[in-house]
Parts: sequence; C-alpha cells; structure tokens
Amino acid sequence: MSNYTNSPCAACKFLRRKCTSDCVFAPYFPPEEPTKFANVHRIFGASNVSKILHEVAPHQREDAVNSLAYEAEARLKDPVYGCVGAISVLQRQVLRLQRELEETNADLMRYASCLGSETTSAYGGRRG
Amino acid sequence: MSNTKHIHKGLLERLLDLLLIALIVYMTLKGGTSGACAACKYQRRRCAADCPLAPYFPAEQPKLFQNVHRLFGVRSIVKILEKLDETQKPEAMKSIIFQSYVRDRSPVHGCLGVTQQLQYMIWFAEEELKAVNSQLQLYRSQPQNGQNQNQNHNHNQMIHELGSDHYKQQEDVTSQQLDLGMGLNVNNNQSNVVTPFFSSLLPVSETQQPQMSYTYSCSEVNNNGYSPPAYNTDSGKEILTNNNNVWGDQNRFLYNNNNGGGYSNQNESCHEMKSNGVMAIQSQLVNLQMVSNHQRVEEEEADHEYDELHQFLDIIDDRQSFGDSKEA
Repeated sequence: MSNYTNSPCAACKFLRRKCTSDCVFAPYFPPEEPTKFANVHRIFGASNVSKILHEVAPHQREDAVNSLAYEAEARLKDPVYGCVGAISVLQRQVLRLQRELEETNADLMRYASCLGSETTSAYGGRRG
Repeated sequence: MSNTKHIHKGLLERLLDLLLIALIVYMTLKGGTSGACAACKYQRRRCAADCPLAPYFPAEQPKLFQNVHRLFGVRSIVKILEKLDETQKPEAMKSIIFQSYVRDRSPVHGCLGVTQQLQYMIWFAEEELKAVNSQLQLYRSQPQNGQNQNQNHNHNQMIHELGSDHYKQQEDVTSQQLDLGMGLNVNNNQSNVVTPFFSSLLPVSETQQPQMSYTYSCSEVNNNGYSPPAYNTDSGKEILTNNNNVWGDQNRFLYNNNNGGGYSNQNESCHEMKSNGVMAIQSQLVNLQMVSNHQRVEEEEADHEYDELHQFLDIIDDRQSFGDSKEA
C-alpha cells in the first residue's frame, strides 16, 4: 500500500515531511485524526513514540498507540496528575467496594449461621 | 629540633588532609561527578545547583530517570514543570515517574491497561455485591423457620447466573465506565478474595513529601509494595467519564473485538474470569463462614498484599521487545 497517491498521515502532516510507504506512524495516525498525533507529540515526542512502536510487536502497535493517545490527552487535561489521577480514583472505588462486600458477606454469614442452627435443632428434635 | 620538624610535618599532613576534604565537599556541593543527579548523570553533563530535575531523580536510582526519559524525554518534562507552581511540581513528578514505571512494565498498554483492569475489578465487585445483597434480601424477607431449601436453590441459581453468558450480555451494569477486555486472574490467592491491584494503597495524604518517590524504584517494588500517589481529583473523574468518549470508544471497539491476537486472547480470558467468579463467590462464602473473627481476615489480606502485587506485575509485564524477538 503506497502513501504516494493517498494523503499523508497525520504525523507526517504535522511534522511537514514526506509520508513514505514505510512510515511507521501511518497505520496508526490517520489524517482524519490530527489531534491524536498532535497530543502524543506534545507530551511524548515523535522520536519516543517511534522507538516505542519499534519495541513492540506489529500486532500490538495499535493498542500501544491508543494507550499513548489516552495518556497524552489525560496529561494535557491535567498536567499535574495526568491519567494517574483516574487510576487513583478507581483504586479508592475498588477499596470501598471491597469493604462493602466484606461487610455484606459478614451479614450474610450471620443470617446463614442463624438459620443453620435453627435447622439443626429442628432435625435434632425430629430424630429425638 | 627534630621534634619541631616532626611536629611541623604532622601539622602539614593534617592541613593537607583538611584541604582535600574541603575540596571534595566543595566539588560535591557544586555538583561534581560524584554529586550529579541521575538525570545529569544519564545525560553526562554537569549537574548545576539549580538543576530542575535533581530533586526528583536521586543518583542512587538511575532506573527512575531512564523510564521517564524513555517515555517523556527531558524536554517534555522540563516543559511540563515550567508551567506548574512550586507546590504542584513534586506531585506532577510523582505521577510522571509512576506513569513511566507502568509503561516500562507494560510497554503496550501502560496506564490504560491498569485503568481497564481496575474498571473490570470494579464491575466484578459490583456484580458480586449485587448477588450477595440479593441473597441477603432473601434471607431478611424469609421467615426464620428453617426454610433453607428454597433459599439454597435461589442462591445457587443466582451464583450460576453470575457466571453464565446471560450476565455477560446483560446491559444491567452499574458502572458507566465498563470496558471489558483485560482479563484479570482473580483466583490467584488462596482465600479467593478479590483484592485490588495496589492493595498496599492506604489513604495517603496528598501532601506527601518528595521522598515518597523513592518507593517507586524498581528495586523496592518487591519489598515495600508499590502504590501510585493517592489523588482525589475532579480531573481524574473527568478523565474516566471522558475515556469512553474520546479514544475510549475506539478502545472499546478494539478491545471487545478480535482485532488482534493479543486482545482476542484477553477477551477469552475475561469470559473465563466471569465463570471463575462463580467459584470465587461460593468459596468466599464458605471461607467467611469459617472465619470467626475479623482479625484473621485482616491477617490473611496483609499476607496476600505483596503476593497480589507480584501476580499483577507478572500479568502486566508484557515486555516482549519486538526488537529482541526479531534478533532471536
């Protein structure tokens, strides 16, 4: 697939260079999404992204680019915490849910043990 | 006479020693090669007294800076720091160091992978809570005269539904940030309790000292546990809600479809995790039945904290350098 007849990818457009057929960015930064590359470039830089893409397997590159795009956007929205703020919020949520689950399970066990003891006494009475 | 000469010689030696010590201290204070921060050492340049990165990258932890340099680059870090207040800089650097560490451990998914795994854990915990609450409601509504058979039947039915495809297709999910795709092995620990990724995270004050960054060093992960800074930011929540609107839609599309070998496998393991969730609930109820006091549960959790951390780090460690594999 050649990029000579197609429009250059968003990365090459941004960097104002010729988009060759073996451009590493072309499959992952389509020209319809210029913001995606702009964000990634602002935060991580094109050379870092290129190195990361070369370090992962080809079938994982799209996922890598999407995760970088997500992190870049998060960092632009929140320069102090970036995507780590979201992680922190989720962790608190997990801890809260776990605590709630423990309490609810404890309640359930209390009920179950009460009913269990009643059943045992009922059976004991029948046998006796 | 000879004694005087001897004394003068001794004094001279001591003076030379003192001068040498003073010179070493001077060089250290001025940022000589022995006092350079990890950033300047890596870049092989003189570490100035006003080096902006020196407070965050101690020389004893070169890996911290290497991770950051690989992901962000020095210029980007400096640009980010320039826009922030003095009070915000330590927090920002902590988050950057953490983000870089996660990217080092998981070059493909990075923090997005962590986010999705946490979202999955939340979804799973909410579903489990719903099931347990339903069972509890059943117990509360039933008259306490030993009608166990109906209750057990309903209980088993509910547990079965939780692990079946029926639940997978149901739209009744409480979490709006649901983003399935990252399977999580929740049955690793012996008690089968779902513990969060960073289970060592306790309520951490947001006014942490910069020294907290030391816990992020790779060498300390297995000893002290590893936890991200605790943030309770509105932007964090905003990022979560917008995640599904921006790249999240694409991510969800990608992660829920067989778009690549990696994610198709993870979708399958995700389904497997839900089936195993049946076992998790049943065994969890049994375990709790055997536990007579809360202290024993806490002890078990404390023991499994670092086990969970190791297991999670093993799961997210998808370092499979394409370059290395090519060479192989």
